[in-house]
Amino acid sequence: MLEGPGEPGPTWSLPSLALLAVTAAVLLGAALWHLALVFLSIAPPGPVQRTYAHAIEAHVNPEFGQDWQLFAPQPLQANVRVEARLRTAAGSGTPRTGRWTSLTAQDIAAVRHNSLPSHADQNLLRRAWDFYRDTHNRREMPTDARGALAAQYVKRIALLRLADDAHGARITALQVRSRAVPVPPPHWSDRAPVRNTPHRTLPWWPVTDDDRRGL
Amino acid sequence: MNRPAPLDRLTRLITFAARPHASYQAALFRIGLGGIAAAFLLREWPHRRLLWGDRSPWSAEMAARVIEEDHRFSVLLWSGGHWWFELVYHGAIVASVLLMLGWRTRATSVVFLVAVLSIESRNIYLGDAGDNAMRVMALYLAFTRCGAVWSLDARRRARARRQGKPVDDRAGVAMWQALGVLLLWVSDGFPHTAWAAVLWAFWAAYGVWYAAHRWAWGHQARDLLDAVTAMLHNCAMLVIAVQVCLIYGTAGWYKIQGALWQEGSGLHYALHLDYFMPWPALAGLLAHSMLVVFALSYGTVIVQAAFPFLLGYRRLKNVLLAAMMLEHLAIGVVLGIPFLSAMMIVSDAIFLPTSFLVLVGAHCSRLARRVLRRAQVNQSVRKHPPSGIGHAARG
Repeated sequence: MLEGPGEPGPTWSLPSLALLAVTAAVLLGAALWHLALVFLSIAPPGPVQRTYAHAIEAHVNPEFGQDWQLFAPQPLQANVRVEARLRTAAGSGTPRTGRWTSLTAQDIAAVRHNSLPSHADQNLLRRAWDFYRDTHNRREMPTDARGALAAQYVKRIALLRLADDAHGARITALQVRSRAVPVPPPHWSDRAPVRNTPHRTLPWWPVTDDDRRGL
Repeated sequence: MNRPAPLDRLTRLITFAARPHASYQAALFRIGLGGIAAAFLLREWPHRRLLWGDRSPWSAEMAARVIEEDHRFSVLLWSGGHWWFELVYHGAIVASVLLMLGWRTRATSVVFLVAVLSIESRNIYLGDAGDNAMRVMALYLAFTRCGAVWSLDARRRARARRQGKPVDDRAGVAMWQALGVLLLWVSDGFPHTAWAAVLWAFWAAYGVWYAAHRWAWGHQARDLLDAVTAMLHNCAMLVIAVQVCLIYGTAGWYKIQGALWQEGSGLHYALHLDYFMPWPALAGLLAHSMLVVFALSYGTVIVQAAFPFLLGYRRLKNVLLAAMMLEHLAIGVVLGIPFLSAMMIVSDAIFLPTSFLVLVGAHCSRLARRVLRRAQVNQSVRKHPPSGIGHAARG
């Protein structure tokens, strides 16, 4: 049924040959067109990429979208720690503020000594926080139409992780903060170690039952 | 036949283009992708509801909004029910295993593609570069003839050829019919995308191909169809190969622009990221020596940036591929990203020479036959023990 590699193919009549030649040209053209657009989508920005940005975007996204800049141009130079705490209302209604819990520390503990880390530990919070950071400014205002989604994602992850901290009381609010701990330069390097660890403390987010749906 | 020279050249060119190339590489790629996806889905099985199901912090409503805005689709969102999720998730595992085994690859590769896209689109803020590569490559794979060798399909065809009969593929036809009914049922499940049309096109092509083989045995229409699908396969393999080069090219070229990679200490920082440090002692050992970090940092950048250009040199290429695979194996362990590393190893492997793959394939099948024979012998020994042994056991 299939020609094995290396076996001679059939001899083509003239019309077949013409049909196959046209097909070959169209297919090869389509393949090269596709590759050119993918190339432009991952190449550094330039006038060509800007001029045809719409065509490139329309062709490549979402199915062929890609990003291979893992550790490039610079590797990450800080470990981001995300922490969260809850405010609960007991039966009497007096609010109680819980202790800060490091969500990142939970992830790190799960990744340690694990040769097959799960996306639940290695990616979920890490990517959600990247998403939040990319869609908010330093005053914690959304800079993107998806900002609210990113905040909701982080909020729900924190609620999921801190569910036991409420000890059965009703959760009324949640607060998240982060700290970027720089990786010290290698001991042979003459680069000065970065001393400051950028903090950001987000405002209290009110929590409703709707926020916890499904968790 | 006496043809003028340009026509003769065209004939030779078309004959070359209409023959499927890199069949073994495509088969290896298929086995790799199916195996990696199956392993990944089984690994995440305990977390499946948290990552893509009803317990996900990325709720179905949030996913639906992004899917609509981005013109994606996800089969997982067709119903909010828990059992639907379980059906799709386990269906994806079955599709991955069937793809790996090469069972009805023409249809299975498309089902696999739909499963991969559905799971990824359910939460696009979860994956890493490994998931990204899987999505792109699964798309390309659906256009290849990845079941021509090393597959259950190939075994079935070889058996039919040995018996001198045309292949009577009832299961394949039944699957085609079932997929048609299914597609009719769900055609409105891909709003704002061309996916319904694409899937119908796959289905129609599958049907035409079956019909040509069923009713026009030996006819030129069949040869023509085979030639067109072979050309499509060749183009898809070309795209896969260039895509791998683009991955390495961008990874390498962007690193060259970074000051830390220029001074040769890029690896030091990569080895000190908590999320990618399953074995702190191992990472510490590697990061301790200035010369090791320098050599590995520079080696990585050089090899990645040079990859597309070195492929032209046959001898050098194979050494390069071996080095790349070893490096990815090491990265998978040290940085704790085994599925991403496996994707890159499989992508490297499509550049291995056919003669080497045939040799490895023959070796593997010989080994499998020997193990199988030994198992059969053991079984028959257990069933009918030689009298002496039975006696001794009783005594």
